[in-house]
Amino acid sequence: MTSTLPAVTTPKVPAQRQPAPETGSADRTAPPSRLRSSRSDLLLCGALLVAVLVVQGWNIADYPTLSDDEGTYLAQAWAVQQGKGLAHYTYWYDHPPLGWVQIALLTWIPSWLSPGSMTVGGMRIAMLVVSAVSAVLVYVLARRLSLPRWAAGLAMALFGLSPLSVVLQREIFLDNIAVMWTLLAFTLAASPSRHLWHHFGAGLAAATAVLTKETMLVVLPALFVTMWRHSHRDTRKFAVTGAVTACVLIGFSYPLFALLKGELLPGGGHVSLWDGVKYQMTRPGSGFILDRSSGSYGVLHSWLYYDRVLPLGGLAGALLLIATWRWSVTARALAGPAFTIAILTVLAMRPNGYLPAMYVIQALPFLALVLAGGTASVAHAVLRRWRADGEKRYVTGGRYALAAVLAVAAGAYVVPRWYDGDHTAVTTDANAPYRAASKWLTSEVEDPKDTRVLVDDALWLDLVHDGYRPGLGVIWFYKADLDPAVTKTMPHGWKDIDYVVASPTVRRDAVDLPNVKAAIEHSTPVATFGTGEDRIEIRQIQTTGTADGGVR
Amino acid sequence: MAAFTLWWQMHAWRTPEVLASTRFSRPDGDEHVSFSLLLPARHEQAVLDHTVQRLLESTHTDFEIIVIVGHDDPETTAVAEDAAARDPRVRVVVDTHEKKNKPKAMNTALPHCRGDVVGVFDAEDQVHPELLAHVDHAFRTTKADVVQGGVQLINFHSSWYSLRNCLEYFFWFRSRLHLHAQKGFIPLGGNTVFVRTDVLREADGWDPDCLAEDCDLGVRLSSVGKKVVVAYDSDMVTREETPGSLVSLLKQRTRWNQGFLQVYRKKDWKQLPGFGQRLLARYTLMTPFLQAFSGVVIPLNAAVALFLDVPVGIAFLTFLPLVTAAVTFVFEVVGLHDFGKQYGLRVRLVHYLKLIVGGPFYQVLLAGAAIRAVWREQRGRNDWELTSHVGAHLTRAEVNRDLREDVPA
Repeated sequence: MTSTLPAVTTPKVPAQRQPAPETGSADRTAPPSRLRSSRSDLLLCGALLVAVLVVQGWNIADYPTLSDDEGTYLAQAWAVQQGKGLAHYTYWYDHPPLGWVQIALLTWIPSWLSPGSMTVGGMRIAMLVVSAVSAVLVYVLARRLSLPRWAAGLAMALFGLSPLSVVLQREIFLDNIAVMWTLLAFTLAASPSRHLWHHFGAGLAAATAVLTKETMLVVLPALFVTMWRHSHRDTRKFAVTGAVTACVLIGFSYPLFALLKGELLPGGGHVSLWDGVKYQMTRPGSGFILDRSSGSYGVLHSWLYYDRVLPLGGLAGALLLIATWRWSVTARALAGPAFTIAILTVLAMRPNGYLPAMYVIQALPFLALVLAGGTASVAHAVLRRWRADGEKRYVTGGRYALAAVLAVAAGAYVVPRWYDGDHTAVTTDANAPYRAASKWLTSEVEDPKDTRVLVDDALWLDLVHDGYRPGLGVIWFYKADLDPAVTKTMPHGWKDIDYVVASPTVRRDAVDLPNVKAAIEHSTPVATFGTGEDRIEIRQIQTTGTADGGVR
Repeated sequence: MAAFTLWWQMHAWRTPEVLASTRFSRPDGDEHVSFSLLLPARHEQAVLDHTVQRLLESTHTDFEIIVIVGHDDPETTAVAEDAAARDPRVRVVVDTHEKKNKPKAMNTALPHCRGDVVGVFDAEDQVHPELLAHVDHAFRTTKADVVQGGVQLINFHSSWYSLRNCLEYFFWFRSRLHLHAQKGFIPLGGNTVFVRTDVLREADGWDPDCLAEDCDLGVRLSSVGKKVVVAYDSDMVTREETPGSLVSLLKQRTRWNQGFLQVYRKKDWKQLPGFGQRLLARYTLMTPFLQAFSGVVIPLNAAVALFLDVPVGIAFLTFLPLVTAAVTFVFEVVGLHDFGKQYGLRVRLVHYLKLIVGGPFYQVLLAGAAIRAVWREQRGRNDWELTSHVGAHLTRAEVNRDLREDVPA
């Protein structure tokens, strides 16, 4: 039997076994050292998880409308599974590839069992795994940031059940996967045991998040703050440098990968990481978010259309926490999430930045955390602040009455709106036109193998399963203008194409794509599904003399 | 393998609680243990008296100092006799072995020990006056059979290799040894080590034929389940200096490595009860050789990946060892900062640069020592290299330094 000496804190203290000296504030509600062994935590978290999975999973394939980006990532994941490299077209460093490599892993078994299921609608089910992990991590993180149990549950519910979350987390977006890794990084950074390797792991998870979706870079400072606050003075320098090193080293694997492929710097005849980064950094701005005529304003409104509680409430929560920094323990404990929201808000407020619709995804868990934290802060203020030992009973009663009134009012405001939003999500079928178009192209076109179709990314995999040649037979519409490897197979431009599937995305983007535009102009609709702006038209190219469309 | 080393190297800093537990606990002023402090000295008349005087300043009240000198070393003997005449707590034992080495010297003195606990120091050690009181307390509160205190090389500014050498000690005593103590397999250090006299006699003292007799003793004692406690306090460590030249460092390392090999071949570690412990033993004793191997392989890998035409995936894999190496580097830099802070030493930018630039060269040195050790062991040359060539091509100071038995790092 051997062992080390009993612990002491400093040489000045008498010998005794005691924990390392505390730094920072004493927490009001210390989380249990092992959440796993806390029965009530497990029950609450498990019940919420079931609710989240049911709401998010029900009708997942049919709502919301298939997005072009989902198609892009899933198709590239398909290419990874098929051993075709990182993409079926030339991989051009638009995003780091780790995101769809993970999608490929997630969908590996289902697509192996049934190859035809590898379509956007069908594979959304894989995102449930990501949502489930993220939701549990929000709960654990909330507990580790010393929120009381009910507030942690609130954070998890806000994150998983907000109609905005339900819509966005159902979709196959890289951001959802990156959020999962970011949450893992925060959870590890806030590890109650302050273990060196937990912090190291936080660095690894952060790097994975960045390599999944590069926008996660902006969240790293907030992660750093969290780690700093949660590490101990005596071991901090090792913990923090370890985490930073891990993050940087893993992050460097991306440029290293490009270097090994000889594609780090721009050069003749090949894509490069440099060009990819340049493209992302110089994307045309979408205007100031509060300018009513700007694209950013439209994006903001598309978020608020689904839910106002989480984005605006979370923002208010963040402001409250930052404002009460000096007095509130909760505010200091939630410094990391609040800081994250601050960073993301400032970035969204750039006068002419590019604001994609997915931008809000990375903010969702932190909005949920700060909103829950703000609520906990208010609850504490109402129930406990300035409460003396001998407080009169009616005052205490008044406190509880006030808290109950506030809770009921909040519930009365939120529940009906969320019920409507989530009800739409579990009942609406938004993708019938897509399915019908896919079906039409399968049954009505005689010879799919020799037919060339321009489609948007969301429909691409459907047609691949229907027998069209991936890449040059069924073509991502914009590749007809932007990818030299594709355009050189189309010497006659639009005349070399047989069909265009004009979905809303294709019509919107055709403005800047001459080949696609010409193909639409020289074609007539042979089938239309849906009505109005959201309709999908299958248009056959009309070439004089060579009308070999193959319509029965 | 680099990842394992890294994992263990950072043991003490895993959590603040672990870090706190690696320190000596504060003595309560009570004294129950008497000490016999062995001080083997050979051609060390220059420093011996100072060391003895400093030991005599200890706050502990119940100890004796036994200076062990060789019969062929009249100068050192004279200094020792002089010290003994001035203070009754000092005694002199003369070692008359024809071929001399440290374990033989200490075995000679063992029967003369009167204390409950035998402590070992080297002739040029700077020992903290309060160390004995702390060790006494540790023995009483933990019921330990062995207490290992910290040893630290301090002269990091002397040369590029002394910088790395200091840091090696820092990581070994500050962190890694605690892990070994916790796991129940520990190669002890050569000095500032305290063993209960009866336990030591039961184990028949040190192995006179082993080149790493300190490591061997630790392995044998932990194999029979004796309780070993390690404590490290930057105030309380025994301060030493690095070998004076690259050649002597290389020779010292060769000797340790050869000693490790011998301990490995003695197979005492096979008596360890746990499979994990035996694995740790096997791994620890083989470390120098694995280190040598990886030192060669890592740069080769990166070169292959960059310059030969291999698939991207495979090229990627070859960079993995480099990642662990880079992490180790960073932790070393942070360790150097911590080292400077704990000992109140000023570490300048140039030292950090030296640390990083010197890294690969130090690896080469370690690899060289490992290969040399294997070669010497193969040819059956297990004499105390420098003892047999006294003064042949080294200054006396260097010889003395090499005679000193250090802990492996």
